[in-house]
Parts: sequence; C-alpha cells; structure tokens
Amino acid sequence: MYTSIPKGLTDLTLAIEKGTNAVISNRYNPFYYHGALPQFYLWVLFLSGLLLFAYYIPTIDNAYFSANLVNAWTSVDYITGKLPMGAVVRGVHRYAGDAMVITIVLHALRVWVTDRYRQYRWVQWISGIVLLLMVLFIGQTGYYLVWDERSLVLTRMTVSACEALPIIGPGLKAWFLNGSAITNLTLSNFLFIHIGLSFTLLFGLWVHYVRMTRPVITPPPAINYMLMAVLLLVVFAYPITSGKMADINSAPTSFDIDWFFLFPYWLMAKVDLTTYWVLMIGATVGLCLVPLPSLYKAAAPIEAAEVVLTKCVGCSLCANDCPYQAIEMVPAPAGSRFKLLATVKPYRCSGCGVCVGACAFDAIDLPNLLDSDVTAQIRAMAEAKPN
Amino acid sequence: MSEQKVITLICERACDLDSVCNEQGEVKEVDGLHVVKLPCSGMIQPLMIEAAMKAGAAGVIVTGCQIGDCYYREGNRMIRERLLGQRPPGLKKTVDRQRVLALWLSRPQKDRFLSEAKEFVAFVRQLPAPPPPAAKPAAK
Repeated sequence: MYTSIPKGLTDLTLAIEKGTNAVISNRYNPFYYHGALPQFYLWVLFLSGLLLFAYYIPTIDNAYFSANLVNAWTSVDYITGKLPMGAVVRGVHRYAGDAMVITIVLHALRVWVTDRYRQYRWVQWISGIVLLLMVLFIGQTGYYLVWDERSLVLTRMTVSACEALPIIGPGLKAWFLNGSAITNLTLSNFLFIHIGLSFTLLFGLWVHYVRMTRPVITPPPAINYMLMAVLLLVVFAYPITSGKMADINSAPTSFDIDWFFLFPYWLMAKVDLTTYWVLMIGATVGLCLVPLPSLYKAAAPIEAAEVVLTKCVGCSLCANDCPYQAIEMVPAPAGSRFKLLATVKPYRCSGCGVCVGACAFDAIDLPNLLDSDVTAQIRAMAEAKPN
Repeated sequence: MSEQKVITLICERACDLDSVCNEQGEVKEVDGLHVVKLPCSGMIQPLMIEAAMKAGAAGVIVTGCQIGDCYYREGNRMIRERLLGQRPPGLKKTVDRQRVLALWLSRPQKDRFLSEAKEFVAFVRQLPAPPPPAAKPAAK
C-alpha cells in the first residue's frame, strides 16, 4: 500500500481530512466529493453557457448592419452592459471555468497522493488527462470568442503554433481558422468547437466512470450551495471587463493572462515553437505514463477474486456490491439449479474482497487470502488458552 | 471470565497497529485482544463475526477507514450497512449487538483505537455470559 508516494504527504492528507471531518462531519467533507466538484461546475457552465448562447453573435463584422456594427465583441458588450444580470451570467461562466480547472487539478492531486491512480484504475487516469486537455482547449476557445485584442493575439499565436507542426500543420491551421485567414467563418468555427467539444466531455466522462459502480458525481446540496456562493463572491468582487475590440489590421502584442487556461501561451511566448511542442507533448505523455507498473513497487500483485462454481447460487449480491464493475452475472450453464452465475473480469478486479464480504454462501474467494483461512484464524484466536 | 478474547477485524489501510502488535497479531498493551488484518474492511463477512462469537470470543471490533474515504471506494460503507442490517448479508439476530464495536479510523489514529478498544474490552468482559444456544432470546 502507498508505496510510491511519500508517506508524509499521505498522512498529511489524511490528517487534513480528519480535521475537516471533525468540523463539518464526513457527510459534507468536500475532500470526499473531490471528483464531483468539477462535475458540478460543468453543469453550471452548461447552464450559464446556454444563457450566453442566446445573445452571442459569432462574427467579426456583419455587412447587414453596416450602419451599426454588430459582431462578437459588441454582442458580448451588450450582454455585459445592457442585459439585466448579463454581467453576472458572463462572470459565472468565466469563473466557473477557472473553478473547474482548479477542482480538476485538486482531484488529480488527491488521487495521486492517496495512491488511487494505477493498476485497475489506469483507464480513469488516462481518460482524466484527456478530459483535462479537452477542458483546457474549450476554455481557450472561450477566450477567442469574446473577440477583443487578446482573442486576436491568441488566435494568431495558435495559428503559428499549428503551422510549426510537420505534416498535419497546414491541415490543422485550415481546420482551426475554417479557411486560410481570419473571417466570419473562423468565429463560427470557434463557437462550434467551444460547444461541440463541451458536449464531447460527456462522452469522455462516460469512459471516466464506466469502470466504477455508483460513481460519486453529485455532491450533497449543501456543498453545491457553498460552491455557488464562492463563485458568486468572486463574480461580484472581480467583475469581468472586455478589452478593446479586435481590429484585424492592428497587431496587438501583449495581454492579461488567465493562468488557469492560458499558461500554454505564456510558454509559447518564452520559447521557440519546436521546444513548445516538445514540452507540451512530453508533459502529456509523461502524465499518461504515471501509472506505468515499473514506476512503483506493488506491495503484492493483485490476484483477482475467483468464483467457486459449485457454491454460487446466482444471487447477484457480489455483482451489486463490487465497486469496479468487475463481476458480471451470466446465464448459468445448462443443468444448473440456478439461473445465473457470477463471473469475474480479472483485468478490472482490485482484489479488495468486498465481494467476499457480500457473499453469504462462501462462493467467492481471494486466491491469496481464502475466507475459510481467515475464519479458521479467527476461531483459533478466540479459542486459544491464555498463556 | 477476564481472559476471554476479543477479536479485531481490521482493514490494512485503516489505523496502523503494526507497532503495537506482536508477531501473533496480539495487541501488547491489552491482554487477549487479537488483530486480523484484511485488505479492506468490506471483506469482513458477518459470518466471520458469528464464527468468532461461536468460538467463545467476548466481542468483535470491526475497524475500517473513515467513512467516505475507502481506498477501494465503498468497502467501509458496505460493512457498516451490513452491520446495521441495511444491506444483505446481515448479522444474525442471535448475535449480541452489544458485543460488536465498529470504529472508523484513518491510518494515524492508533491512540484513539487503543483507548476505545481498552474501554470496549473491559465492557464486554463484565457483560453476563451469553445464554446457551438452546435458550434463544425472543426474536424482536
């Protein structure tokens, strides 16, 4: 257990969580809902995004309204300045994105510190990294959409980064701009990426959850209210302001940076593009390799639970209780007295023994710790004469 | 009756008792308190608790991690629900509930375990001996 993590770090986490439990009880301890927090902010983003979508116009100029320029920037300006509560909805959308990145990173940190990222959990780790990258890219497209000077710089930087890639570079640039230059079609493409990829997150989350029984995806209402209150506090304390409207003929060079989403652009400005791509791809691959078996010392290899075929009555108790969806009830072979038979998917099994505790018929066993041996040990201890 | 054994069924990730146990898994400070380690408290079968009682143990202490924090996601919640009769399989009605103690302690909480266990051991040993199996108490 906990072999590859510094022991002090794990103990510190446990101590903090124990202290939190003492104050607000374990039912409301946000540490126990760390995976559900970004999920909550995702719903907030979907809802506030839907409200913004009703008024947003994805163009850089609009010939039909030439007397009175209407474009992405003016529509955002209208939402912020004129629409009742528009600034609040925009602020919620913006800061909920930041909050989602923070909670995702905290989620990943806790999972790593408590050693819950490897072996049978590798699907969750890798899909989590993909989800984080998707969230970062969705957030960046959000910064292009407001179409102020920062958006223009970011778009141009992204184009130059795409061009620096061999083979796929030109195609990537054409896909990103939806053409060869920045036009009205570019902004509609950004909006499509921003919204389409957001819904693709739901598919990614399905992969993230598919190996878990009863995934914790909804914090209790009390925590939701608290998260929302923190968000609104930030929204009112730091109202969102737009920059100057982007002018394609100008070349702005500097902008305020949002460290949660735009740190890749900070890096891009510091190093040349080849180094940039090597660092970014290297970091991603490195994160994906964290659960590699040779990087940690397993205390004992996992031995998957085994069903005792002659004892299983097909009651489904173990399949209901398995936390990793590792037990599947299949139709019992012909001639059996029972309808179903439990089968273990060994690649999903964690060897935790919850199924052993769930079985009232002694029909499932951990090969390295038979429950009959445990019971025998308990009997021997209870019956032993005092020395 | 003071030598009656008390069995502790404990998750190996819950409070760390290695430093207070001898090689046979007996807590040094408390006479007759034995420890059986399992990969997760969710592995504890109610049958194991019944077996300990039948073999003459005065009581059983079930220890898992803090509720909400299980390495295997739900193990401690499962055994808690089984002990409370909210999830099958449950404890038999004949098992004296006074003789079962459940503690949910994280790894550094060794001292809390020792103080609670001492109190519990003293309590179950002064309880009157369980009635012989023939005279079953009326079902509630």
